[in-house]
Amino acid sequence: MPAPPKAISATPSRCIGCLTCELACASRGWQETYPYPARISLVFFRDGAKIPLTCFQCDNAPCLSVCRTGSLTRDGLGVVASDPAKCIGCRACSAVCPFGNIVYSPAVRAAVKCDQCGGEPRCAAACPSGALRYVDAAADVKAKREAFARTLKAAAEAL
Amino acid sequence: MPEPPERSPARGRGPGGERAASPPAAAALTASGTIDGIPVTVRRGTTLLSAARELGIDIPTLCHHEGLPPEGSCRLCLCEVKGQLAVSCMYPLAADGFAALTGSPAVMEARRHVIWLLAARAPKAPRIARLAEEYGARPDPRFMKDPDGCIRCGRCVRACRASGPEAIALCGRGYGRFVTGPFGRPPEDCIGCLACALSCPVGKIAFSERPDRRRIWERDFELAPCPECGARVFTREQLAFHGAAASALCPSCRRRAMAGELRKAAAFEAAPALARSL
Repeated sequence: MPAPPKAISATPSRCIGCLTCELACASRGWQETYPYPARISLVFFRDGAKIPLTCFQCDNAPCLSVCRTGSLTRDGLGVVASDPAKCIGCRACSAVCPFGNIVYSPAVRAAVKCDQCGGEPRCAAACPSGALRYVDAAADVKAKREAFARTLKAAAEAL
Repeated sequence: MPEPPERSPARGRGPGGERAASPPAAAALTASGTIDGIPVTVRRGTTLLSAARELGIDIPTLCHHEGLPPEGSCRLCLCEVKGQLAVSCMYPLAADGFAALTGSPAVMEARRHVIWLLAARAPKAPRIARLAEEYGARPDPRFMKDPDGCIRCGRCVRACRASGPEAIALCGRGYGRFVTGPFGRPPEDCIGCLACALSCPVGKIAFSERPDRRRIWERDFELAPCPECGARVFTREQLAFHGAAASALCPSCRRRAMAGELRKAAAFEAAPALARSL
Protein backbone atom coordinates (compact mmCIF):
# COMPACT_ATOMS: atom_id res chain seq x y z
CA MET A 1 0.00 0.00 0.00
CA PRO A 2 1.48 3.33 -0.98
CA ALA A 3 1.91 6.10 1.54
CA PRO A 4 0.13 9.31 0.54
CA PRO A 5 2.03 11.54 -1.90
CA LYS A 6 1.19 14.56 0.24
CA ALA A 7 1.86 14.97 3.93
CA ILE A 8 1.18 17.37 6.77
CA SER A 9 4.72 18.52 7.38
CA ALA A 10 5.68 20.05 10.70
CA THR A 11 8.54 22.48 11.32
CA PRO A 12 8.71 22.63 15.12
CA SER A 13 11.09 25.60 15.14
CA ARG A 14 8.34 27.69 13.59
CA CYS A 15 5.62 26.57 16.00
CA ILE A 16 4.41 29.33 18.34
CA GLY A 17 2.24 27.02 20.45
CA CYS A 18 -1.04 28.82 19.73
CA LEU A 19 -3.07 25.59 19.40
CA THR A 20 -4.91 26.94 16.38
CA CYS A 21 -4.29 23.60 14.65
CA GLU A 22 -6.16 21.70 17.39
CA LEU A 23 -9.04 24.16 17.30
CA ALA A 24 -9.26 24.10 13.52
CA CYS A 25 -9.36 20.30 13.66
CA ALA A 26 -12.00 20.19 16.37
CA SER A 27 -14.15 22.74 14.59
CA ARG A 28 -14.38 20.56 11.53
CA GLY A 29 -17.80 19.40 12.68
CA TRP A 30 -16.88 16.51 14.89
CA GLN A 31 -19.59 16.19 17.52
CA GLU A 32 -17.30 17.66 20.12
CA THR A 33 -15.01 20.60 20.44
CA TYR A 34 -12.62 19.78 23.26
CA PRO A 35 -9.25 18.94 21.84
CA TYR A 36 -8.29 15.57 23.41
CA PRO A 37 -9.62 13.64 20.44
CA ALA A 38 -8.48 16.31 17.99
CA ARG A 39 -6.70 14.50 15.22
CA ILE A 40 -3.68 16.70 15.67
CA SER A 41 -2.14 17.56 18.99
CA LEU A 42 0.54 19.88 20.14
CA VAL A 43 2.89 18.25 22.63
CA PHE A 44 4.49 20.74 25.00
CA PHE A 45 7.76 20.09 26.80
CA ARG A 46 8.71 21.64 30.09
CA ASP A 47 11.56 23.62 28.55
CA GLY A 48 9.21 25.30 26.10
CA ALA A 49 9.68 23.06 23.08
CA LYS A 50 6.52 22.31 21.11
CA ILE A 51 5.99 19.47 18.68
CA PRO A 52 2.83 19.22 16.56
CA LEU A 53 1.91 15.59 16.09
CA THR A 54 -0.66 13.90 13.90
CA CYS A 55 -1.15 10.56 12.19
CA PHE A 56 1.80 9.53 10.04
CA GLN A 57 -0.42 7.47 7.69
CA CYS A 58 1.99 4.52 8.15
CA ASP A 59 2.75 2.33 5.17
CA ASN A 60 2.24 -0.77 7.24
CA ALA A 61 -0.42 0.68 9.49
CA PRO A 62 -1.11 -1.40 12.63
CA CYS A 63 -4.54 0.21 13.07
CA LEU A 64 -5.52 -0.77 9.56
CA SER A 65 -4.33 -4.34 10.00
CA VAL A 66 -6.28 -4.94 13.23
CA CYS A 67 -9.55 -3.37 12.04
CA ARG A 68 -11.85 -6.27 11.24
CA THR A 69 -14.98 -4.39 10.23
CA GLY A 70 -13.61 -2.38 7.33
CA SER A 71 -14.10 0.86 9.23
CA LEU A 72 -10.48 1.81 8.58
CA THR A 73 -9.53 1.87 4.93
CA ARG A 74 -6.78 3.34 2.78
CA ASP A 75 -8.52 6.00 0.70
CA GLY A 76 -7.70 7.29 -2.77
CA LEU A 77 -5.09 9.67 -1.38
CA GLY A 78 -3.27 6.80 0.37
CA VAL A 79 -4.54 8.08 3.71
CA VAL A 80 -5.98 5.76 6.36
CA ALA A 81 -9.53 7.05 6.85
CA SER A 82 -12.16 5.84 9.29
CA ASP A 83 -15.84 5.30 8.57
CA PRO A 84 -17.83 5.79 11.82
CA ALA A 85 -20.77 3.79 10.45
CA LYS A 86 -18.60 0.68 10.30
CA CYS A 87 -16.88 1.10 13.66
CA ILE A 88 -17.99 -1.21 16.48
CA GLY A 89 -15.95 0.54 19.15
CA CYS A 90 -13.56 -2.33 20.00
CA ARG A 91 -10.61 0.09 20.30
CA ALA A 92 -8.13 -2.43 18.93
CA CYS A 93 -6.76 0.28 16.61
CA SER A 94 -6.16 2.56 19.56
CA ALA A 95 -4.47 -0.22 21.53
CA VAL A 96 -2.01 -1.02 18.74
CA CYS A 97 -1.15 2.47 17.44
CA PRO A 98 2.45 3.02 18.61
CA PHE A 99 2.00 6.80 18.45
CA GLY A 100 -1.38 7.32 20.13
CA ASN A 101 -2.75 8.94 17.01
CA ILE A 102 -6.08 7.13 16.92
CA VAL A 103 -8.49 7.24 19.85
CA TYR A 104 -12.05 6.20 20.50
CA SER A 105 -14.47 9.10 20.74
CA PRO A 106 -17.63 8.43 22.76
CA ALA A 107 -19.28 11.45 21.13
CA VAL A 108 -18.73 10.22 17.58
CA ARG A 109 -19.19 6.64 18.79
CA ALA A 110 -16.24 5.58 16.68
CA ALA A 111 -12.47 5.61 16.54
CA VAL A 112 -11.29 8.88 15.09
CA LYS A 113 -8.03 9.80 13.39
CA CYS A 114 -6.53 12.28 10.99
CA ASP A 115 -7.68 11.75 7.41
CA GLN A 116 -6.02 14.93 6.12
CA CYS A 117 -9.55 16.36 5.73
CA GLY A 118 -9.87 14.57 2.40
CA GLY A 119 -7.06 16.58 0.83
CA GLU A 120 -7.52 20.01 2.42
CA PRO A 121 -6.26 19.77 6.00
CA ARG A 122 -7.69 22.57 8.12
CA CYS A 123 -4.78 22.49 10.60
CA ALA A 124 -2.26 23.39 7.92
CA ALA A 125 -4.58 26.01 6.42
CA ALA A 126 -5.11 27.61 9.84
CA CYS A 127 -1.52 27.53 11.09
CA PRO A 128 -0.52 31.20 11.38
CA SER A 129 3.25 30.66 11.51
CA GLY A 130 3.81 28.16 8.75
CA ALA A 131 4.84 25.41 11.18
CA LEU A 132 2.31 23.10 9.57
CA ARG A 133 2.21 22.82 5.82
CA TYR A 134 0.42 20.41 3.54
CA VAL A 135 3.08 19.54 1.02
CA ASP A 136 4.29 17.00 -1.47
CA ALA A 137 6.08 14.45 0.71
CA ALA A 138 8.98 13.71 -1.65
CA ALA A 139 9.62 17.40 -2.36
CA ASP A 140 9.54 18.15 1.36
CA VAL A 141 12.20 15.55 2.10
CA LYS A 142 14.30 16.98 -0.71
CA ALA A 143 13.89 20.52 0.64
CA LYS A 144 14.95 19.38 4.10
CA ARG A 145 17.99 17.62 2.70
CA GLU A 146 18.99 20.74 0.79
CA ALA A 147 18.44 22.96 3.83
CA PHE A 148 20.72 20.75 5.90
CA ALA A 149 23.31 20.71 3.13
CA ARG A 150 23.30 24.52 3.23
CA THR A 151 23.87 24.39 6.99
CA LEU A 152 26.84 22.09 6.47
CA LYS A 153 28.17 24.33 3.70
CA ALA A 154 27.95 27.37 5.96
CA ALA A 155 29.73 25.45 8.71
CA ALA A 156 32.49 24.33 6.35
CA GLU A 157 33.00 27.87 5.07
CA ALA A 158 33.24 29.19 8.61
CA LEU A 159 36.18 26.93 9.35
CA MET B 1 2.83 -13.42 -3.99
CA PRO B 2 2.06 -15.97 -6.76
CA GLU B 3 -0.64 -15.05 -9.23
CA PRO B 4 -3.93 -16.87 -8.57
CA PRO B 5 -4.69 -19.49 -11.21
CA GLU B 6 -6.78 -18.25 -14.10
CA ARG B 7 -10.45 -19.00 -13.62
CA SER B 8 -13.01 -19.39 -16.35
CA PRO B 9 -16.06 -17.18 -15.85
CA ALA B 10 -18.24 -20.27 -15.53
CA ARG B 11 -16.39 -21.30 -12.39
CA GLY B 12 -18.03 -18.51 -10.51
CA ARG B 13 -16.84 -15.81 -8.22
CA GLY B 14 -13.94 -17.05 -6.17
CA PRO B 15 -10.89 -14.97 -5.32
CA GLY B 16 -9.37 -13.59 -8.48
CA GLY B 17 -12.70 -13.57 -10.27
CA GLU B 18 -12.81 -9.81 -10.23
CA ARG B 19 -9.22 -9.51 -11.39
CA ALA B 20 -9.96 -11.68 -14.41
CA ALA B 21 -12.87 -9.46 -15.49
CA SER B 22 -12.13 -7.77 -18.80
CA PRO B 23 -13.98 -4.73 -20.19
CA PRO B 24 -16.56 -6.73 -22.21
CA ALA B 25 -17.53 -8.55 -19.01
CA ALA B 26 -18.06 -5.24 -17.19
CA ALA B 27 -21.76 -5.23 -18.00
CA ALA B 28 -22.13 -8.56 -16.23
CA LEU B 29 -20.67 -7.02 -13.08
CA THR B 30 -23.63 -4.70 -12.68
CA ALA B 31 -27.31 -5.26 -12.11
CA SER B 32 -30.01 -2.86 -13.28
CA GLY B 33 -33.60 -2.60 -12.16
CA THR B 34 -35.91 -0.38 -10.19
CA ILE B 35 -36.43 0.40 -6.53
CA ASP B 36 -39.78 2.05 -5.82
CA GLY B 37 -39.95 2.72 -9.55
CA ILE B 38 -36.61 4.56 -9.62
CA PRO B 39 -34.25 3.04 -12.20
CA VAL B 40 -30.94 2.10 -10.67
CA THR B 41 -27.73 0.31 -11.68
CA VAL B 42 -25.55 -1.19 -8.96
CA ARG B 43 -22.53 -3.42 -8.70
CA ARG B 44 -23.76 -6.99 -8.89
CA GLY B 45 -24.21 -8.48 -5.44
CA THR B 46 -24.98 -5.15 -3.75
CA THR B 47 -27.70 -5.72 -1.21
CA LEU B 48 -31.12 -4.23 -1.79
CA LEU B 49 -30.76 -2.35 1.49
CA SER B 50 -27.57 -0.52 0.54
CA ALA B 51 -28.85 0.18 -2.97
CA ALA B 52 -32.02 1.71 -1.54
CA ARG B 53 -30.09 3.75 1.03
CA GLU B 54 -27.82 4.96 -1.74
CA LEU B 55 -30.98 6.38 -3.37
CA GLY B 56 -31.93 8.06 -0.11
CA ILE B 57 -34.77 5.67 0.61
CA ASP B 58 -35.20 5.10 4.32
CA ILE B 59 -35.53 1.47 5.39
CA PRO B 60 -35.51 0.95 9.16
CA THR B 61 -33.00 -1.58 10.51
CA LEU B 62 -31.89 -2.82 13.91
CA CYS B 63 -29.64 -5.85 13.43
CA HIS B 64 -27.84 -4.35 10.43
CA HIS B 65 -24.41 -2.79 10.99
CA GLU B 66 -22.31 -1.46 8.13
CA GLY B 67 -19.17 -3.03 9.53
CA LEU B 68 -20.54 -6.49 10.36
CA PRO B 69 -21.76 -9.36 8.21
CA PRO B 70 -25.55 -9.22 7.75
CA GLU B 71 -27.64 -11.70 9.66
CA GLY B 72 -31.21 -10.75 8.77
CA SER B 73 -32.42 -11.54 12.24
CA CYS B 74 -34.55 -8.51 13.16
CA ARG B 75 -36.67 -8.72 9.96
CA LEU B 76 -37.31 -5.01 10.09
CA CYS B 77 -35.86 -4.25 6.67
CA LEU B 78 -38.37 -6.44 4.81
CA CYS B 79 -39.09 -5.29 1.27
CA GLU B 80 -41.11 -6.68 -1.60
CA VAL B 81 -39.38 -8.25 -4.57
CA LYS B 82 -41.30 -10.16 -7.26
CA GLY B 83 -44.40 -10.15 -5.09
CA GLN B 84 -42.57 -11.79 -2.20
CA LEU B 85 -41.17 -10.39 1.01
CA ALA B 86 -37.39 -10.36 1.19
CA VAL B 87 -34.98 -9.33 3.93
CA SER B 88 -33.31 -6.44 2.14
CA CYS B 89 -30.06 -6.44 4.18
CA MET B 90 -29.34 -9.96 2.89
CA TYR B 91 -30.94 -9.74 -0.54
CA PRO B 92 -28.20 -9.44 -3.18
CA LEU B 93 -29.17 -7.76 -6.43
CA ALA B 94 -27.63 -10.43 -8.62
CA ALA B 95 -29.37 -10.03 -11.97
CA ASP B 96 -30.89 -7.35 -14.21
CA GLY B 97 -34.59 -6.58 -14.11
CA PHE B 98 -35.29 -6.50 -10.40
CA ALA B 99 -38.24 -4.40 -9.26
CA ALA B 100 -38.24 -3.84 -5.54
CA LEU B 101 -40.77 -2.02 -3.40
CA THR B 102 -39.69 -0.67 -0.04
CA GLY B 103 -42.97 0.75 1.19
CA SER B 104 -45.80 -1.24 -0.41
CA PRO B 105 -48.89 -2.06 1.70
CA ALA B 106 -47.64 -5.63 2.15
CA VAL B 107 -44.25 -4.36 3.33
CA MET B 108 -45.75 -1.87 5.77
CA GLU B 109 -48.09 -4.50 7.20
CA ALA B 110 -45.27 -7.03 7.62
CA ARG B 111 -43.01 -4.42 9.17
CA ARG B 112 -45.74 -3.33 11.56
CA HIS B 113 -46.13 -6.94 12.64
CA VAL B 114 -42.37 -7.31 13.17
CA ILE B 115 -42.26 -4.16 15.28
CA TRP B 116 -45.24 -5.41 17.24
CA LEU B 117 -43.30 -8.55 18.14
CA LEU B 118 -40.03 -6.72 18.81
CA ALA B 119 -41.86 -4.27 21.06
CA ALA B 120 -43.08 -7.19 23.14
CA ARG B 121 -39.44 -8.04 23.91
CA ALA B 122 -37.99 -4.57 24.27
CA PRO B 123 -40.85 -2.15 24.92
CA LYS B 124 -38.64 0.38 26.67
CA ALA B 125 -35.92 0.70 24.05
CA PRO B 126 -36.23 4.23 22.63
CA ARG B 127 -35.69 3.13 19.05
CA ILE B 128 -38.35 0.43 19.28
CA ALA B 129 -40.77 2.80 21.00
CA ARG B 130 -40.25 5.33 18.20
CA LEU B 131 -40.81 2.68 15.52
CA ALA B 132 -43.93 1.38 17.29
CA GLU B 133 -45.27 4.91 17.37
CA GLU B 134 -44.43 5.50 13.72
CA TYR B 135 -45.95 2.24 12.50
CA GLY B 136 -48.87 2.20 14.91
CA ALA B 137 -47.78 -1.08 16.53
CA ARG B 138 -48.92 -1.23 20.11
CA PRO B 139 -47.14 -3.99 22.04
CA ASP B 140 -49.59 -6.72 23.00
CA PRO B 141 -49.53 -7.63 26.71
CA ARG B 142 -50.30 -11.25 25.75
CA PHE B 143 -46.81 -11.61 24.31
CA MET B 144 -45.02 -9.66 26.98
CA LYS B 145 -44.25 -12.53 29.34
CA ASP B 146 -40.60 -11.68 29.66
CA PRO B 147 -39.74 -8.28 28.20
CA ASP B 148 -36.03 -8.38 29.07
CA GLY B 149 -35.12 -5.70 26.53
CA CYS B 150 -33.06 -7.95 24.21
CA ILE B 151 -34.34 -8.51 20.68
CA ARG B 152 -31.96 -11.45 19.97
CA CYS B 153 -30.54 -9.79 16.87
CA GLY B 154 -27.02 -11.03 17.58
CA ARG B 155 -25.30 -7.77 16.72
CA CYS B 156 -23.28 -8.00 19.96
CA VAL B 157 -22.21 -11.54 19.07
CA ARG B 158 -21.10 -10.49 15.60
CA ALA B 159 -19.25 -7.49 17.03
CA CYS B 160 -17.45 -9.75 19.51
CA ARG B 161 -16.52 -12.16 16.74
CA ALA B 162 -15.25 -9.32 14.55
CA SER B 163 -13.16 -7.77 17.28
CA GLY B 164 -11.59 -11.14 18.04
CA PRO B 165 -12.40 -12.64 21.44
CA GLU B 166 -15.59 -14.48 20.43
CA ALA B 167 -16.52 -14.45 24.08
CA ILE B 168 -20.30 -14.47 23.76
CA ALA B 169 -22.80 -16.36 21.62
CA LEU B 170 -26.49 -16.85 21.04
CA CYS B 171 -27.70 -19.94 22.83
CA GLY B 172 -30.97 -21.86 22.76
CA ARG B 173 -33.74 -21.75 20.18
CA GLY B 174 -36.92 -19.91 19.41
CA TYR B 175 -38.35 -17.86 22.21
CA GLY B 176 -35.74 -19.24 24.62
CA ARG B 177 -32.81 -17.89 22.62
CA PHE B 178 -30.47 -15.63 24.56
CA VAL B 179 -26.98 -14.13 24.50
CA THR B 180 -24.52 -15.62 26.97
CA GLY B 181 -20.96 -16.63 27.73
CA PRO B 182 -20.10 -20.34 27.53
CA PHE B 183 -22.17 -22.51 29.90
CA GLY B 184 -24.22 -19.54 31.01
CA ARG B 185 -21.28 -18.19 32.98
CA PRO B 186 -19.55 -14.81 32.72
CA PRO B 187 -17.47 -15.08 29.51
CA GLU B 188 -13.86 -15.95 30.33
CA ASP B 189 -12.58 -14.73 26.97
CA CYS B 190 -14.16 -11.30 27.31
CA ILE B 191 -11.56 -8.52 27.26
CA GLY B 192 -13.94 -5.76 28.30
CA CYS B 193 -13.62 -3.74 25.08
CA LEU B 194 -17.32 -2.76 25.08
CA ALA B 195 -17.78 -3.43 21.37
CA CYS B 196 -20.88 -5.54 22.17
CA ALA B 197 -22.51 -2.87 24.29
CA LEU B 198 -21.71 -0.12 21.79
CA SER B 199 -23.10 -2.22 18.94
CA CYS B 200 -26.36 -3.15 20.65
CA PRO B 201 -29.18 -1.39 18.79
CA VAL B 202 -31.48 -1.32 21.81
CA GLY B 203 -29.00 -0.46 24.56
CA LYS B 204 -29.64 -3.72 26.39
CA ILE B 205 -26.05 -4.61 27.32
CA ALA B 206 -25.32 -2.90 30.60
CA PHE B 207 -21.85 -1.89 31.68
CA SER B 208 -20.52 0.39 34.33
CA GLU B 209 -17.32 2.34 34.48
CA ARG B 210 -15.56 3.71 37.48
CA PRO B 211 -12.29 5.60 37.14
CA ASP B 212 -10.24 2.44 37.57
CA ARG B 213 -12.65 -0.42 36.83
CA ARG B 214 -15.10 -1.51 34.22
CA ARG B 215 -17.87 -4.04 34.71
CA ILE B 216 -19.63 -5.89 31.90
CA TRP B 217 -21.11 -9.38 31.52
CA GLU B 218 -20.80 -9.79 35.30
CA ARG B 219 -17.07 -9.49 35.04
CA ASP B 220 -14.81 -6.93 36.62
CA PHE B 221 -11.97 -5.49 34.61
CA GLU B 222 -9.18 -3.33 35.90
CA LEU B 223 -8.34 -0.41 33.65
CA ALA B 224 -4.55 -0.59 33.56
CA PRO B 225 -2.82 2.63 34.63
CA CYS B 226 -0.50 4.23 32.10
CA PRO B 227 3.05 3.74 33.47
CA GLU B 228 3.84 7.34 32.60
CA CYS B 229 0.84 9.42 33.67
CA GLY B 230 -1.48 6.94 35.37
CA ALA B 231 -4.41 7.55 33.02
CA ARG B 232 -6.59 4.45 32.67
CA VAL B 233 -7.66 3.85 29.10
CA PHE B 234 -7.49 0.12 28.32
CA THR B 235 -8.28 -2.99 30.36
CA ARG B 236 -5.37 -5.30 31.16
CA GLU B 237 -7.12 -7.96 29.09
CA GLN B 238 -7.37 -5.64 26.09
CA LEU B 239 -3.64 -4.91 26.21
CA ALA B 240 -2.86 -8.62 26.63
CA PHE B 241 -5.18 -9.57 23.78
CA HIS B 242 -3.40 -7.24 21.39
CA GLY B 243 -0.10 -8.66 22.57
CA ALA B 244 3.26 -7.07 22.01
CA ALA B 245 1.73 -4.65 19.52
CA ALA B 246 0.01 -2.75 22.27
CA SER B 247 2.06 -0.42 24.38
CA ALA B 248 1.07 -0.03 28.01
CA LEU B 249 1.28 3.75 27.58
CA CYS B 250 -1.95 5.70 27.14
CA PRO B 251 -2.45 7.37 23.73
CA SER B 252 -1.46 10.79 25.09
CA CYS B 253 1.83 9.46 26.47
CA ARG B 254 2.52 7.57 23.24
CA ARG B 255 2.12 10.89 21.43
CA ARG B 256 4.45 12.53 23.95
CA ALA B 257 7.05 9.77 23.51
CA MET B 258 6.96 10.13 19.75
CA ALA B 259 7.09 13.91 20.00
CA GLY B 260 10.25 13.49 22.10
CA GLU B 261 11.86 11.50 19.30
CA LEU B 262 10.80 14.04 16.70
CA ARG B 263 12.13 16.78 18.90
CA LYS B 264 15.62 15.29 18.84
CA ALA B 265 15.45 15.19 15.05
CA ALA B 266 14.21 18.78 14.90
CA ALA B 267 16.96 19.97 17.25
CA PHE B 268 19.56 18.32 15.03
CA GLU B 269 18.10 19.91 11.94
CA ALA B 270 18.04 23.41 13.41
CA ALA B 271 21.42 23.34 15.15
CA PRO B 272 24.29 24.83 13.14
CA ALA B 273 26.50 24.31 16.19
CA LEU B 274 25.92 20.61 15.92
CA ALA B 275 26.68 20.71 12.23
CA ARG B 276 29.87 22.64 12.91
CA SER B 277 31.06 19.94 15.27
CA LEU B 278 30.78 17.29 12.55
